[in-house]
Amino acid sequence: MTALVVKLLKDTPSGWARVALAILLAGLASMSSVALMGVSGWLLSRAAEHPPVMYLTAAAVLVRAFGITRGVFRYCERLVGHAVGLRLQSALRLETYATLARTTLLGRRRGDLLTRIVADVDAVLDLVVRVLLPFASGVFVIGATTLVLGVFSWPAALAVLASALLAGALAPWLAARLSARADAASVPARGALANVVHELSRTAPDLVAHGADAAALDRLAAADARLAAIDARAAWTRGLATGVQTLAAGLAVITGLWFGTQAVRAGTLDHTMLAVLTLTPLALHEVFNDFTKAAQTWTRARVALERVQEVLAEPAIGSGDKEASAPAASPHLAVAGLTIGWPGAVPLASGLDLRVDPGEMVAVVGPSGVGKTTLAATVLGLIPPVAGTVDVSGTIGYLAQDTHVFSTSVAENVRIGRRDATDADVTDALARARLDLDPARLVGEMGTALSGGEQRRLGLARILVGDAQVLVLDEPTEHLDPETADALLDDIRAAAASMAVLVVTHDPGVVARCDRVVDLSR
Amino acid sequence: MAIGSLVAVLTVAQAWVLSRAIAGVFDAAPGLDYLTPTPGTGAWPALGPVIATLAAIFAGKALLGWLNTLLAHRAAAAVKSRFRRDIMAARLADPLNEKTSTAGLVNLVTVGLDALDGFYSKYLPQLVLAITVPVIVGVAVLTADLTSAVIVALTLPLIPVFMMLVGWTTEARTARRWHLQQRLARHFADLVAGLPTLQVFGRAKAQAIGLRKTEDAHRGETMGTLRISFLSALVLELLATLSVAVMAVTIGFRVVHHEIDLTTALFVLILAPEVFLPVRQVGVHYHDAADGMAAAQQAFDLIGEPEAAAPTASATPPAGTVLAVDGLGHTYPDAAAPAVSDVTFAVAPGEFVVLTGPSGGGKTTVLNALAGFLSPTLGTVAAPARARVAHVGQNPGMLAGTIADNVRLGAPQASDAAVADALARAGAPGLDPARPVGDDGEGLSAGERRRVATARALVRIDAGADVLLLDEPTAGLDADAEETLLRSIRATGVAAVVVSHRAAVLAAADRVVTIGGPR
Repeated sequence: MTALVVKLLKDTPSGWARVALAILLAGLASMSSVALMGVSGWLLSRAAEHPPVMYLTAAAVLVRAFGITRGVFRYCERLVGHAVGLRLQSALRLETYATLARTTLLGRRRGDLLTRIVADVDAVLDLVVRVLLPFASGVFVIGATTLVLGVFSWPAALAVLASALLAGALAPWLAARLSARADAASVPARGALANVVHELSRTAPDLVAHGADAAALDRLAAADARLAAIDARAAWTRGLATGVQTLAAGLAVITGLWFGTQAVRAGTLDHTMLAVLTLTPLALHEVFNDFTKAAQTWTRARVALERVQEVLAEPAIGSGDKEASAPAASPHLAVAGLTIGWPGAVPLASGLDLRVDPGEMVAVVGPSGVGKTTLAATVLGLIPPVAGTVDVSGTIGYLAQDTHVFSTSVAENVRIGRRDATDADVTDALARARLDLDPARLVGEMGTALSGGEQRRLGLARILVGDAQVLVLDEPTEHLDPETADALLDDIRAAAASMAVLVVTHDPGVVARCDRVVDLSR
Repeated sequence: MAIGSLVAVLTVAQAWVLSRAIAGVFDAAPGLDYLTPTPGTGAWPALGPVIATLAAIFAGKALLGWLNTLLAHRAAAAVKSRFRRDIMAARLADPLNEKTSTAGLVNLVTVGLDALDGFYSKYLPQLVLAITVPVIVGVAVLTADLTSAVIVALTLPLIPVFMMLVGWTTEARTARRWHLQQRLARHFADLVAGLPTLQVFGRAKAQAIGLRKTEDAHRGETMGTLRISFLSALVLELLATLSVAVMAVTIGFRVVHHEIDLTTALFVLILAPEVFLPVRQVGVHYHDAADGMAAAQQAFDLIGEPEAAAPTASATPPAGTVLAVDGLGHTYPDAAAPAVSDVTFAVAPGEFVVLTGPSGGGKTTVLNALAGFLSPTLGTVAAPARARVAHVGQNPGMLAGTIADNVRLGAPQASDAAVADALARAGAPGLDPARPVGDDGEGLSAGERRRVATARALVRIDAGADVLLLDEPTAGLDADAEETLLRSIRATGVAAVVVSHRAAVLAAADRVVTIGGPR
């Protein structure tokens, strides 16, 4: 993971310099509050000797200055830190996108990889702002404070250093370790709770209709109780880390007072310095308050970035993008002796022979997992065939069961099918797909949600605007209610009357409408 | 509250012990200043008791901090458990309400509610400290030195005032920028989620250029937002630190002029940051509070939502019928027009009634009213108690387990033979009752799920139910399987209400009721 961050920093213009500046600013901000307390302590002690006021002026100016610089440095540090953190985040996003775009994703059972990686990439900002800056500036402040105090009393300085390591390194490390262990322990309990909630939500009408709702709530309470018990243990250890930090602060103050007093009695230390030796550690330990949180953030960020790095390091499979195809005079789709499978994995099906000509609709059936989407990816040229030949003549389009609706206008969504489509082309495609939506309307996450039927019709409009001659349909009726499914199939059949259509499906209702059927499982 | 007060008292005690010890040693030692040499009193204070007291104070603070974490966790856990139960109870009370997706619900109940941890373990304790500490410490400063107390009393209220002023003046700009920033931020997530779709259109690699532009714009907007939103933190830190600095300098000069002694001055100096610390921490943990409140608000919205969905089988069906609706009409919340209106029909025992009509005409709404899942806004529904009703929805839910487990949801006592028999009658003789079913019916096709749910209804009829409600039971079936299923339904001899638009089903009906009519 370090390698990843180093590489990103190297690729970012003056990345290292910006990070160093942010660390310096953070260190100066923390230093200001420590110095404020130290100089104030000296100011009061010196004042108690009742010298002429001019002897105190310099210290008074310093104290006031520290009162201002702390806030100002902190503000600058936050801006510089976020600026470089956001740059790294952007760079990582671009890198991740480029890597994913190069590898074929259609039909890969990668679960929630795509949704998870978005959140994982964001961890790099946390790593800079919430982990690197506090810890690096903490080292700076501890070092500076130890050195300055060491000039006056080295035993007191060493004691402060020890207490700082206890509060700034050991306690956060302990907290991070223990909370990581608690997190790991709570993962199964959390998963169990999520499963109960998921099932309860998905089967609510069935549970209520069959009088099983009370039992379901009892299952929820049981899962919740198990999770709460694990969380309670985690809270116990977190509290321990907080306690250790308080004790470390006490240790620093007490040793400062002890060694300071000894030195004053021995005449090796001026009595105005005792307040400095005692009060500086008090202010120093305030800096460590956020370290426990930073250590926990570090644990989480590291896991997230390691997952990102894994994705980045994976070799590309297939071509990623579908190659552009030219319209043909006699379009068709034919495969001969075809064996399909993911490169490097066990072939899913072999000995496939089929031909689809314009006006025909051919079904490829088989239970889930038999390789229907893999066949689609092979026919589209996204992955190479394991053996045999794929012969596609003409432009080819693909309608997936989970076609993505982008968060933009309906028209822009349709233009995914053909970039230079005119407004008239878009309106025409929408009409042929029987989708009655204003092209200017915003859809997707930031707009209105489309129903399953509308979503698939939008996918159809994309294919129609691209003038596809060969069409591959992947489970076109999945997750649709029967009426919507029937209406959609009618409309697809009408819109694709002159296309060569290959349908992969396990829905007997779809198969019934096809001219021929090929069983993939045989 | 008690812990917060104890922490404040210990902090005052710590300052008192420390200031006396430092001043004691200071007075005992001879001053080395050559202009105004001061002879020491020579009476060195005994350090032993001082150190023991300090150790006890810090140990006490550590213990209180630990205790605070535990109590905060307990409070958060209790609230989370309560929310979890209430949210899911609300979900069951209104089973058809899918306004919040299952994924959204899972997220809220697990991760979302965890935001309450931050609220209870960070924000709330700090809020308590922000009230108790300034009061207790303020009184301590007041008894020691009036002028310093006045400085605290004047500057402390300035913090919330300035925070509010900064918030007000930047609110509109921040909100506008935040909105834009959110849109740009989601662009990446949207593109990544749509990558497979982009690839099949050969457009994925080309989008990288657009992404670079969006990222640059996003970064610019975010920095603009941050420059403003960090301002409030700047004001907070400036006021807090500068107040301490001003107090230190003021008491310094007053010490010179013999107005107060060193002990008092040190006492005030040690306490000064403590007054401001909790107030500053409240600002730091404000986001924890906002997240927690947002999660709680989301939970309250869900819990408060059920529209009195208690079963409305209040009326008894007229003599000679098992089921009747009279003048039924329903308008969904937030809908402009009624989904269904003025439906009247009654079903005699053993009668097979098919509800048909145009898509979106409200057939399923009528069936759901009969099943007691929604209370119609108009008219009455007379239906038997739930135990007498067997119901199969359009997308029946499957429990994780085996096919037999799912069939037995209809009648927990059903024997293995009864389960196998019901599956055969449902048109799926080939399904193995012992076959495992994953989450969401994984491993079963949509057609197989409907068969299992139909078998579930059949065992429920065997166990005594005498009304059968079915929504599109023959979807995804070929003609033979459709025929088998229809025969099985007729063979049960119970009153059946079936929603369908299939010709074969309409042909098998005793009576057809058209819902919605031509639009």
